[in-house]
Amino acid sequence: MNRLRFAPLLALALVLSFSLSACAAASRTFFAMDTVMTVSAPLAGDALLAACEEEVRRLEALFSVTEPDSEIARLNETGEAALSDDTARVLGFALEEAALTQGALDVTLYPVVRAWGFTTGDYRVPDDDELAALLARVGWTRVELDGGTVRVPEGTMVDLGSVAKGYASDRLAALLREGGVQSALIDLGGNIYGLGAKADGSPWRIGVRDPKDPSGLAGALSVTDKAVVTSGSYERNFTAPDGTVYGHIFDPATGRPAENGLISVTVVGGSGLECDALSTALYVMGPDRACALLETLDGVEAVLIDDQGAFWITEGLKNAFTPMGAYAWATINWIQK
Amino acid sequence: MGNEKVTLKGNGRRSEPLSGKIKFPIQTRVWIGTLAIAFAVCLAAAAVVWLLPGSRRVARVSVDGAVVREIDLSAVTAEGSFVVEGVGGTNTVTVRPGGVCVSAADCPDQVCVKRGWLEGGAAPIVCLPHRLVIELVSGGDGNALDAISG
Repeated sequence: MNRLRFAPLLALALVLSFSLSACAAASRTFFAMDTVMTVSAPLAGDALLAACEEEVRRLEALFSVTEPDSEIARLNETGEAALSDDTARVLGFALEEAALTQGALDVTLYPVVRAWGFTTGDYRVPDDDELAALLARVGWTRVELDGGTVRVPEGTMVDLGSVAKGYASDRLAALLREGGVQSALIDLGGNIYGLGAKADGSPWRIGVRDPKDPSGLAGALSVTDKAVVTSGSYERNFTAPDGTVYGHIFDPATGRPAENGLISVTVVGGSGLECDALSTALYVMGPDRACALLETLDGVEAVLIDDQGAFWITEGLKNAFTPMGAYAWATINWIQK
Repeated sequence: MGNEKVTLKGNGRRSEPLSGKIKFPIQTRVWIGTLAIAFAVCLAAAAVVWLLPGSRRVARVSVDGAVVREIDLSAVTAEGSFVVEGVGGTNTVTVRPGGVCVSAADCPDQVCVKRGWLEGGAAPIVCLPHRLVIELVSGGDGNALDAISG
């Protein structure tokens, strides 16, 4: 009897501590991989959030093209490198996706991207001869990955920039799950991973940027335990003296910024790595080839916006995507699987 | 449980204690009191969480993850500017009632300046070269979005 007397007080203390801890929204913002990243996990401690930042920096040190000590920089310098598990896995996956997308994703485009100035900010338009010479060094089939060893011929360079953030989001989701976190939002420069559902059990609401007006939205997605990755040329581009706007997503077939009929591609799926790779590849492929590929893919959904302002959306997102703003009345073409 | 004294007043009919006053045992009364207090605490917490931020719009300015300034945009009555020392350069931040923008910066890409006014929504103003972020920490309508992809 006496032992039970304090039970109500104990219950009250529990209610109070839960409501107070729920108020303390924990998040961490940091700059890495050339972008701004935020990890928000209300019930994760500071140590776990610090471990997330550390993990991103560890991966950046492996993948970076500009850090001379990274595995990728060593490969590009010497033509051969021994790879850690992380780098081998990411490069191996990127090569698989290259085969699947018939080269629309190509991790060897770096010399071309560099010539256009996208790595330095000194933008310029290379002439046809220069591009032809550069393209002779490009091609994912030139990369020989054999277990933990990789080789490339002289002049060929590898850049994992198109898949690194997606892989990082998968790693952070795994790290947080291992730490007992069931609800977290990972935002790696617009590469989103919604771990679990929101604390109140409802799905995450992720906006899709309006490709023609980056301060506005084209729509919103409701997702639970999914990665959401968008590719659009509005992210980074430059205007040449003649007024032409050049985007940062390159077509490996031409060595020029991809202009194949899509202006925004958002991919939703369980793997950030796969979503990241596919969003770039589908953007390069254009609407017809992108839709044909999406019809064959399991566990991957997508929202495409073509240059006429119409949507192409996989049927699995019928109840998850809401067009907004200037796109509220846009045509929607459903992609059936 | 020996002290279960339930006293019925009124007409004494056991099956219809409608007009009767029930005297609960002390343990039960403590529980009821506790639950009432817990309920009140939850209500108050909900009020603080949902009502307060809605009436104010606060912008947070941070450099390399560290907060350098928080501005209550709802309390701003006239346009004004201040300079923020970023990493390797400066940004001039301008505020007006309900809004904030970067009006000038010595960064190479000028993405932060071209972004324009931040007056709602979930998309922050970012100056990557200077590692500056301006975001609404409360009162952004955001269409109730948690993040923006792209």
